[in-house]
Amino acid sequence: MKKTFLFLLLSLLLVLTACSGSGGSEEVAPEVELPEGTTEVVMWNLFGGGDAEYMEETVDAFNESQDEYYVNNVMQEFEEYYTKLLTSIGAGKGPDLAISHSHVLPELVSQGLVVDMTDIAADVGVSWEEFNQNILDATVYENQHFAIPIDTHAQIMYVNNELVEEAGLMNDDGSIDIEESPEGYIEFFKTLDEKLPEEKIPFSFSSTGSDPYWLWWAMYSQLGGDHILTEDNLENPTYDIDLEKAKKAAEYVQSLYQEHEIIPLNIADFYSEFQSGNAATTTTGVWATGIWETTEDLEFTPLPIPNVFGEQATWASSHTLILPYYEDADTEVQKGAVEFMKFATDNGAMWAEAGHIPSKDSVIESEEFQELPYRSDYAEVADYVNFVDRNIYARGIEEIITRNLDSIWSGEVGVEEAFSSIETEIKDLIE
Amino acid sequence: MNSKRKAWMQDLRAIPFLLPFFIAYMIFTIFPILKGLEMSLYDWNLVRKLEFVRLENYKDMIGDQFFWDSLWNTTLFVILTTPTMVALALGLALLANLNTKFQTFLRGSFFLPSILSVAVISFLAIFMLQPYNGLINSVLHLIGIEAEPFWMADKVLAWVSIVVVTLWWTVGFNMILFLASLQDIPESLYEASEIDGATRWEQFRYITFPQLIPIGRVILLLQILASYKVFAQILLITGGGPSGSTRPLIQYIYEVGFTKNNLGYAAAMSYALFFILLVLSIVQLKSQRSEGN
Repeated sequence: MKKTFLFLLLSLLLVLTACSGSGGSEEVAPEVELPEGTTEVVMWNLFGGGDAEYMEETVDAFNESQDEYYVNNVMQEFEEYYTKLLTSIGAGKGPDLAISHSHVLPELVSQGLVVDMTDIAADVGVSWEEFNQNILDATVYENQHFAIPIDTHAQIMYVNNELVEEAGLMNDDGSIDIEESPEGYIEFFKTLDEKLPEEKIPFSFSSTGSDPYWLWWAMYSQLGGDHILTEDNLENPTYDIDLEKAKKAAEYVQSLYQEHEIIPLNIADFYSEFQSGNAATTTTGVWATGIWETTEDLEFTPLPIPNVFGEQATWASSHTLILPYYEDADTEVQKGAVEFMKFATDNGAMWAEAGHIPSKDSVIESEEFQELPYRSDYAEVADYVNFVDRNIYARGIEEIITRNLDSIWSGEVGVEEAFSSIETEIKDLIE
Repeated sequence: MNSKRKAWMQDLRAIPFLLPFFIAYMIFTIFPILKGLEMSLYDWNLVRKLEFVRLENYKDMIGDQFFWDSLWNTTLFVILTTPTMVALALGLALLANLNTKFQTFLRGSFFLPSILSVAVISFLAIFMLQPYNGLINSVLHLIGIEAEPFWMADKVLAWVSIVVVTLWWTVGFNMILFLASLQDIPESLYEASEIDGATRWEQFRYITFPQLIPIGRVILLLQILASYKVFAQILLITGGGPSGSTRPLIQYIYEVGFTKNNLGYAAAMSYALFFILLVLSIVQLKSQRSEGN
C-alpha cells in the first residue's frame, strides 16, 4: 500500500514538473541583463541578412547613447512575422515597439492595434517637418501619426559597369546611355543582347512573384495610374483600377519576357546571376545595394528605373516603427520606444548602410549620408515613389495580383483575361 | 471482491502514466479541433472573433472556384502518388530483400532520403530542376539536347517534378514496412512450394503477394491520408505555381487564413478536408473489416 502511494506521488511530481516547463513561456523576448536603472523596451523586427545587422547596430548605438532605456531587439522570422505580430498584440502579449511595413499599417490601424503617437512624439521632440513628406504621408491617418517611418525602399535598376561599357552603353562620365521612352528602354536591353556574348543575360529578373509585380506597378504609375482601390476608406474601398493603363503596363512588361526575349524565363535565382557578373542589369529593391557592394569584383551602378512613360514613379514600401496598443501600457516604456524612433531616424545614415533611403530629408542632406557610396544615386526617388493603396486588404491583394500577373508573364493567359479575373477576385475579397 | 479491488487499483495506477499525454492531447488536439469548429461558424480575423454567421462560410466554400481547384490539385496529387508509391515501395522492398552482398547498401540508400527534412529535399530538387544551369538541364545540354524544359514552371512538368520528388523522398518508409512484412513470411512456405515444384513467379504470386496484402492496405490508407495533407514540398518547390495550378488545398487554406486574414473561412475549409479524410478512412476500414470476416 505504502509503495503504491509513493509511486503515485512520484508520478504526480513527474507530471507537474513536465507541465511547469511550459508555464513560463509567455515572455515576448529572451531575458537580458538590463543595465542598472534602465527601462526595458522590447522590440520585434522582421529583418534578415544585412538589414538585421544594421538594425542591431542602430539599437546598440541607442543603448549606449543614454542610460534611461534599454531596447531589447528581438529578431523574428519574416514569413510568420505579421501573423505573429497581429495575434500577439491582439492578445495583449506583443512587444513594446515593432517594425511594420507601411502597407500593413492599415490593418494595424483599423484593428486598433497601434497607438496614435502624435502627443508622445511632441513630448519627445520629434519634428515632423524634417521628414520627407511623401514617406511621412504613408504613416498619417486622419492627421494622426500612427508610425514613424525609418526609410523608403524602392525598386530601382542596377547595371553591371563592365558589361554595359563593353556594349558601348556607358557615357564617358560614367552615366548610363539609356533613352527614357518606351522604345528606348527596350532598345537598351536589345543592344545589350546583341553586343554581349550569348551566355550573358541582358536583364536578370524573376518570372514570378513580387519583383515583376513591382515593375508592373512602376510602369502603371508612370502611365499615370495611381491606385487599384480608392483610398477613401480603409475597410470599404472601391475597385477603381485604370484598366487601360493597367493593361498597357502589363503588355509592356510582358514584352520583355516574350516578344523581345530580354528576360530569360524562369531564372531560378536572378540575384545570383547579377551578383556573379553573368547579367548586365537587374531590377530590384534598394536593399540589394548592401549586398552588391560587399561582392568582390562586382562593379555596378544603381539608378532609378528610367522614366519610360512620362511620369516619374516607381514601386516602394517603407519600414516604419510602431507603438503597439495595450490597455495597461506603461507610459514610461512608450516614451522610451518613441525616443528610440527619434534616435533611429535622426541617425538614418546608419540604417542607410543597408541600402535603404532614409526617411528624413535632413539626413539625406547630411554629410554622413552623402559620403556613403551609391545611395545618393537614387535617393531622389523618395520624392515620387508610389506606395500601394492604403487599405486592410493590401496583403491579400498582392497575392491575387502577383498570381494573375505570373500567368501573363509566362504567356499562358492573355492580359484581358488576367485583369478580368483580378477584378473578380479583388471584388470578392473586399466585398 | 478482492480481485475486483485489485483490478481497480491496477487501473488507478495507469492514470499517472496516461495523464501527461491526456492533458497534452486535450490542450493541443481536442481543444483546437473544437475551437476550429466554432471558428468556422464565425466571421473571424487574425485578431478577434467578429460575428456569428452560421453556415455562411460553408456556403461560400461551395461557390468558391479556388477551393475546388485546390481540392482537385490535392486529389490529383493523391491519384498520382498513391498507386506509384505502393508499387515502387513494393519493388524496392523486394530488391532490398534479395540475399545479395548489396543488401545493406540497398536498404540504406533507399531509406536515406526519408531522414532528410522537407526544406533540404526541396532545395535539392530546385538545384536539380532549375533551368539554364540546373543539374538535369545541364546534363540534357551535355548530351546534345537543346531544349530548355521548365521543370518547375510548366503546368505538366511541375506535377511530374513534385510527384517524383515526393516518391524519392518518402518511399523509404513504405519500403521498410513492406520489408518488415516480407521478413515475417515463414520460410517454410517457400520450402514447401519448392518441393511442390513452384517457379519463382508462382512463389511470388501465391505466397509473397497474398501475405503482403494486409500491410499493403495499411500503406494505402496511410498514403492517402498523408497525401491529402500535402503542402510543404509544393510550397517550397513551385510555390503553388505556375499561377496556382499546383496549389494544394492546405496552401489555399493557409493563404486565406493568414494573408487574407479570414480565419473563419479557413477553418471551414479545414473542416471540409477533415470530413473528406474521415469518409475515406471509414470506407477503407469498413472494406478491410468486411473482407476480414
